[in-house]
Amino acid sequence: MPGEILAQNSSDAPLCQRCGTEAATHNVRSEDVCSNCFSQYVQTKTIKRMETYRIRGSSAKTPRKLLFPLSFGPSSASLLHILDQHLRGQYDRMKRTSYELYVVHINVYVDPVDRKDADEMLEKYKTRYPRHNYAIFNLEEALGLDGIDWKALGLENSDSMAPSAERLQKLLGSMSSATSRSDIVSTLLARLLVDVAKRNSCEGTLFGDSTTRLAEKTLTETAKGRGFSLPWQISDGTSPHGITFYYPLRDILKKEIMSFSTLTSPPLTDLIVQPHPTSQISASSKLTTIDDLMAQYFESVEENFPSIVANVVRTTSKLQSLPNETTEACGLCGLPVAVGTDGIHGWGGDQNSESRPGKDDTYHGILCYGCSRSMNS
Amino acid sequence: MAPALCANCKTSRALIIRPKNHQKLCKECFIAVFEAEIHHTIITTSLFSPGDKIAIGASGGKDSTVLASVLKTLNERHNYGLELVLLSIDEGIKGYRDDSLETVKRNAVQYDMPLKIVGYDELYGWTMDQVVEVIGKKGNCTYCGVFRRQALDRGAKMLGIKHVVTGHNADDVAETILMNLLRGDLPRLARSTSIVTGDATSDVRRSKPLKYAYEKEIVLYAHHKKLDYFTTECLYSPEAFRGSARSLIKNLERVRPSAILDVVRSGEDMAKLVPEEVTGISQCKSQKVSLSSADGEDEGAGGCGSANGRSSGGEMAAMEKKLQQDETASSREIDMSNPIASGQNHDRLIKKTGPIKPVRIESSKKLVGQTLGTCKTCGYMSSQEICKACTLLEGLNKNRPKMEIEIDVEEEESSTLRRRMEGVALAAG
Ligand SMILES: [Zn+2]
Ligand SMILES: [Zn+2]
Ligand SMILES: [Zn+2]
Ligand SMILES: [Zn+2]
Repeated sequence: MPGEILAQNSSDAPLCQRCGTEAATHNVRSEDVCSNCFSQYVQTKTIKRMETYRIRGSSAKTPRKLLFPLSFGPSSASLLHILDQHLRGQYDRMKRTSYELYVVHINVYVDPVDRKDADEMLEKYKTRYPRHNYAIFNLEEALGLDGIDWKALGLENSDSMAPSAERLQKLLGSMSSATSRSDIVSTLLARLLVDVAKRNSCEGTLFGDSTTRLAEKTLTETAKGRGFSLPWQISDGTSPHGITFYYPLRDILKKEIMSFSTLTSPPLTDLIVQPHPTSQISASSKLTTIDDLMAQYFESVEENFPSIVANVVRTTSKLQSLPNETTEACGLCGLPVAVGTDGIHGWGGDQNSESRPGKDDTYHGILCYGCSRSMNS
Repeated sequence: MAPALCANCKTSRALIIRPKNHQKLCKECFIAVFEAEIHHTIITTSLFSPGDKIAIGASGGKDSTVLASVLKTLNERHNYGLELVLLSIDEGIKGYRDDSLETVKRNAVQYDMPLKIVGYDELYGWTMDQVVEVIGKKGNCTYCGVFRRQALDRGAKMLGIKHVVTGHNADDVAETILMNLLRGDLPRLARSTSIVTGDATSDVRRSKPLKYAYEKEIVLYAHHKKLDYFTTECLYSPEAFRGSARSLIKNLERVRPSAILDVVRSGEDMAKLVPEEVTGISQCKSQKVSLSSADGEDEGAGGCGSANGRSSGGEMAAMEKKLQQDETASSREIDMSNPIASGQNHDRLIKKTGPIKPVRIESSKKLVGQTLGTCKTCGYMSSQEICKACTLLEGLNKNRPKMEIEIDVEEEESSTLRRRMEGVALAAG
């Protein structure tokens, strides 16, 4: 009866603007949608990205091998879940897949307790997503990489006999600020990932960075003097290391990922190590990093101005690396540095030699501005 | 505990912790280091040539007072051979500039420099008080801001001076860089980082010798040199993007003192990475939004002092709305033509979709002008054919006769006619 329908419509919560049948519980940009349509939206956006990565016309029977760095955060957990379903779908339809994942977790903590936790966590992933290959590496393995100029870092291999975990701790312990420490950790992490990818013949790396995270990264890198490196850090494409970087979640906001991770069945909750709430971040704390500040900042911008967040990323993606420049590789991050622009000295904003704190005068070799800053402050 | 010795001379007692790198210095060494760094900036960027006549944009505030003092010192110490002139602008707001202009007059005596005060009435034919009479209190901020941006250049031109230096410091530059990133404005990002704007061909070049000097160090320098400057609580609330960038910069500085300098460095490096098609004419819609909404605010905001009717957050909300409309529009187009909705394929998609909606034609007009040229009316650097000041003046000048000749019968007819025409235009739009 028409009357009945009318009564139902007026008394219930608003309906999903997409399917028109379920109650709207979520919001996609300006649309109210049900949880089903919401999850659908997140998955579709991500998979569309994966389609753009496929080499068209390639009828190769062997799937492409892609490195998948897994941090146990909500983004990489969600991305793995989505791709796992994608691959399962491909296999069910065609009995083959277009790519395969090599899932890698890097231990950034040296503490054995933390490392045991990581092992246990990875076991959970193997159980839930058994289709993929998994491995764990330790950050100190980066200390053995070729191309890192330890002399330029002022860390001669005099104690190279010491266990590498100890050396890593010593290196990080010598940094004077929390920002420099986290900067060096993420730099070593990136280099180790590239190395793992190369050694395992992966042709690309899939990063779980959301729109919001990429916007954070844009401003974080800018604030750390690494503006020159943005074309390689924000855009999809070939990195100077010869490995292609992909960001399939680049069109999804962080808050959307957080919601998504609770909507899968079962939810991803026990696969995720939740990040610390940004509300606890204070600029007056010695432990606060530039990364923390930007995470806090963009969490608030994302709340009311999600399109501005997306626009930051879209705009930054337009920056182009300089192709004609003569460059040298930075002894730490490995990125190309235009000749004559290395180090924190010798530019207009340089402090003259009398006003420099003494520490850096022994330095020889090439470090980019950002790495040089972290090694010297 | 023995008092700490100065890290530089190692003889005097350290009294100052340098904000830039937390080095402990004595007063004399701090002053010497501060001046030496500005000298370094001037030398490495070949900012001046002997014989140059330089106008120092002087507001009586700390930045421009320190700039005048340091330039005088360095000019004498290193024989730059510069002729330095103080140039102040009087907006013509009764009572507003009195104190700061008095400060500048004292500075002229203290530094033994000629001073020229030019009024908005001389430059534009209108004082701000007169503008307020016509426009009302609301919205006159736009006029003041646009006029102020050109005032120094126009004033310098009147004096036959080709180079104006302003007191913009590292904090201002860093703030502008972050702001332009937040607004997604690459053309402005590319322009805002260089120490000099304008080149040999432009009538007036502008530069910021304090580009790498921290605001906190400028305050310390003014304090220890006992400079005479005018402290005013700025009544002007910065627009949302700038305000947001400003508080970020303050927090960054607390977390890592070098961050301000590092942002400036990043900005300089990124300016080189902005592709030409972006600094020139862009195909991308999102770019258009940011360009038109950001029109005009390159530099750190000066205190306007009169009205400050801007609600904070308004600009961000407005841009968010525009971007969202854009997204909705483009997702509709894309749904029909191509399954990929991505930033990088954006340009191609828009071209592919063919017929352009009226809205876009309108905004693309604005875009064409983004290559920097000069205003056809006044010759001032402008991204539009007619610069903003001239556009505003045209409007003002149209209003004045209309107001003054209300009694004239014939004129009234034509103005009635014009009003009718406006009505038509309104209905049509
Ligand atoms: Zn639905
Ligand atoms: Zn580096
Ligand atoms: Zn000293
Ligand atoms: Zn003009």
